[in-house]
Amino acid sequence: MVYFALLLLFIVSYSFYYFGKNRALKIKFTGDQKLASLPDYYGYFLVLVVFLPSLIIWFILLLYKSNFQELYVMSPTLFPDIAQWSDAKFGLIMNKISNLALIVNIPEADLLKGQTSLLNMSSESELIAAKNLASFDSIYGWSIVIVFILLPVILGLSISRLINQKLNVQPIVEKIIINIIRFSSIVAILVTFGIFFSLIFEAIKFFQYVNFADFFFNTAWNPNRAWVISSGETVDPEILKDAFGWVPLLTGTLLVGSVAMFVAIPLGLASAIYLAEYASSKVRDIAKPIIEILAGIPTVVYGFFAALTLAPILKNFGDSIGIDISAESALAAGLAMGVMIIPFVSSLSDDVIRSVPNSLRDGSYALGATKSETIKKVVLPAALPGIMGSFLLAVSRAIGETMIVVMAASLRANLTFNPLEPATTITTQIVTALIGDVEFENPKTLVAFALGLSLFVMTLILNIIAITIVRKYREKYE
Amino acid sequence: MVDNNNFALKTNNVYVHYGNKMAINNVALDFPKNEVTSLIGPSGCGKSTFLRCLNRMNDVIDSCKVEGSFIMNNTIDIYRDDLPIENLREKIGMVFQKPNPFPKSIYENVAYGPKIHGVTSSQSELDDLVKESLHRAGLYDEVKDRLTDVATGLSGGQQQRLCIARAISIKPEIILMDEPCSALDPIATAKIEDLINELKENYTIIIVTHSMSQASRVSTKTAFFHLGNLIEEGDTSKIFTKPDKEQTNDYITGRFG
Ligand SMILES: Nc1ncnc2c1ncn2[C@@H]1O[C@H](COP(=O)(O)OP(=O)(O)OP(=O)(O)O)[C@@H](O)[C@H]1O
Ligand SMILES: [Mg+2]
Repeated sequence: MVYFALLLLFIVSYSFYYFGKNRALKIKFTGDQKLASLPDYYGYFLVLVVFLPSLIIWFILLLYKSNFQELYVMSPTLFPDIAQWSDAKFGLIMNKISNLALIVNIPEADLLKGQTSLLNMSSESELIAAKNLASFDSIYGWSIVIVFILLPVILGLSISRLINQKLNVQPIVEKIIINIIRFSSIVAILVTFGIFFSLIFEAIKFFQYVNFADFFFNTAWNPNRAWVISSGETVDPEILKDAFGWVPLLTGTLLVGSVAMFVAIPLGLASAIYLAEYASSKVRDIAKPIIEILAGIPTVVYGFFAALTLAPILKNFGDSIGIDISAESALAAGLAMGVMIIPFVSSLSDDVIRSVPNSLRDGSYALGATKSETIKKVVLPAALPGIMGSFLLAVSRAIGETMIVVMAASLRANLTFNPLEPATTITTQIVTALIGDVEFENPKTLVAFALGLSLFVMTLILNIIAITIVRKYREKYE
Repeated sequence: MVDNNNFALKTNNVYVHYGNKMAINNVALDFPKNEVTSLIGPSGCGKSTFLRCLNRMNDVIDSCKVEGSFIMNNTIDIYRDDLPIENLREKIGMVFQKPNPFPKSIYENVAYGPKIHGVTSSQSELDDLVKESLHRAGLYDEVKDRLTDVATGLSGGQQQRLCIARAISIKPEIILMDEPCSALDPIATAKIEDLINELKENYTIIIVTHSMSQASRVSTKTAFFHLGNLIEEGDTSKIFTKPDKEQTNDYITGRFG
């Protein structure tokens, strides 16, 4: 219904474009004055006038639907003492009325036993309220039709009468459009800030249970100790002293990330050099998109590749040469992740290597340098900032990666720098914190936000550095 | 004029094609030792193409096919299979139209060639060579206090002189210059022209230019190209005062090109 109405609104708005334009074109010019704006703008003007108010009213209706419902149903004429009700009682009765509304219009013979008794237990005014609620939906539906069809048509027709040769709509239209665009970008920014602040607020709640220093500097991670706490209870921070030390998570994250970069940097850089300097354009056109597919494979696929294929192979290989490799080693997760981020390094580095001007290569060749000397001593140093930028972007992708480590890395916090041992990561622990069956206000759950915030800040800083470097580099040659 | 043995480079029967398109058509041109020869002609006539044949820079372009004989110092065929291209370019340096210093320090720019070819055996020898090259390029006094600064921070004219210093740092016999002043203002141009006049004591210079006055100021020999053909060559003074060919006359008097 709503979508149908929305479609109608689009059609109506669209037809008003032609209506407005034609109206402007049909104006009989008096004197030698011409139209104040281009004819198209009269069309745009009507479209905006018709479309925007309906859209805004629709949003309000959508946002406050439940409020309108209550206002309509819970009138003081039916329930004279409603002003004295507590919130709980109000909610209870509203609930009952909602249930009643589902059955109140069904013929008595078709009702189930329980439903009949519910009807019998209800007061007269509750039944009336239920009938009102049942009719609310159709009223709501009709109001949408009015908003989407009648209102635009009336608005459009009446405002189109204002169109005359002196009405300059162009600045109005442009102002409205600029504001729509501005609004959109503000929304995007607000959402980012919203995410950031919701992280902060929840993290603050967490830090009411746990000391700052205990979180950032303690090396013991045993979140299960927080089981004992029930919500709202104030607890001695001593109990949680050794529960939420994030150091092993940080080292685990860095360990897995290092393994990943150990794979991605050499492979990515080598393929970037090959693509940019040696491959014929035909090979490049085929190979580059194929490499980029690596980044497009769902991470869950890498996850089970690491857990089910890579880890056993590594373990068997370790056994055969007498090294003990854990089934949940940081190595397996890091290797899979490294493969995933190869394209971040190779694609971006390929672009920066290719953007090194050919005049530099010519200059080197003209001095009698070979191709490999030219690449090593001129091209790569010139492209280095951009290449570093690609590394940093890849790192920040690696430490934020979740699915692979959830599937392939361990859950056990282990303060180690040995990739053959199990290790857990920040993202893994965020997931375990949130899928636990503890209530939300428990520090065991809230720690997810503290971890999320730290991760957010870490990747943010890496990204800012990377983007600054890449941008600086671009400026140099453009 | 000059006796037959005193040519740094002799070319004969030169044809160049880009794919199926002919860019140079049967050109024969000799370059006297320790003199400046300028190549002139309207845009697209093949001056750069011909110049780039002389240090085999056209080898980088896949579609480019070069035929003909190129004999250096009356003995060496520069397109011979067993002559490493790197050794050839050590002997024949090049300066490009747009200054192209590497994004390294001024010092490293000049030291690049000597390091690659291993011409110096110690750091102090290399320092001296860099200093000497900058000196001869007339740049040393301007940059002596900032040899470690990045070269891209120099002015366009300074960058071009740095590129010349870079080219002479490996002591080539011939220096090719493709419109070396076209990106520079008259003052920077005058400096480069003075420099060319000094350099010809020790080097054979072949310069492509669009400026007749530059050609007459710096060169003793001039060759006029048109549509891939060598129309006329000879003493600069003769070409610019009483050329044999009508086309040459039309070009230098500005009637076409
Ligand atoms: N890489 C290339 N591929 C194909 N054709 C080329 C290439 N380089 C040059 N040409 C063609 O060869 C001809 C000669 O070009 P060249 O650059 O030698 O001219 P030029 O005399 O140096 O001109 P200008 O004075 O404008 O520099 C031109 O027709 C040009 O289009
Ligand atoms: Mg040219």
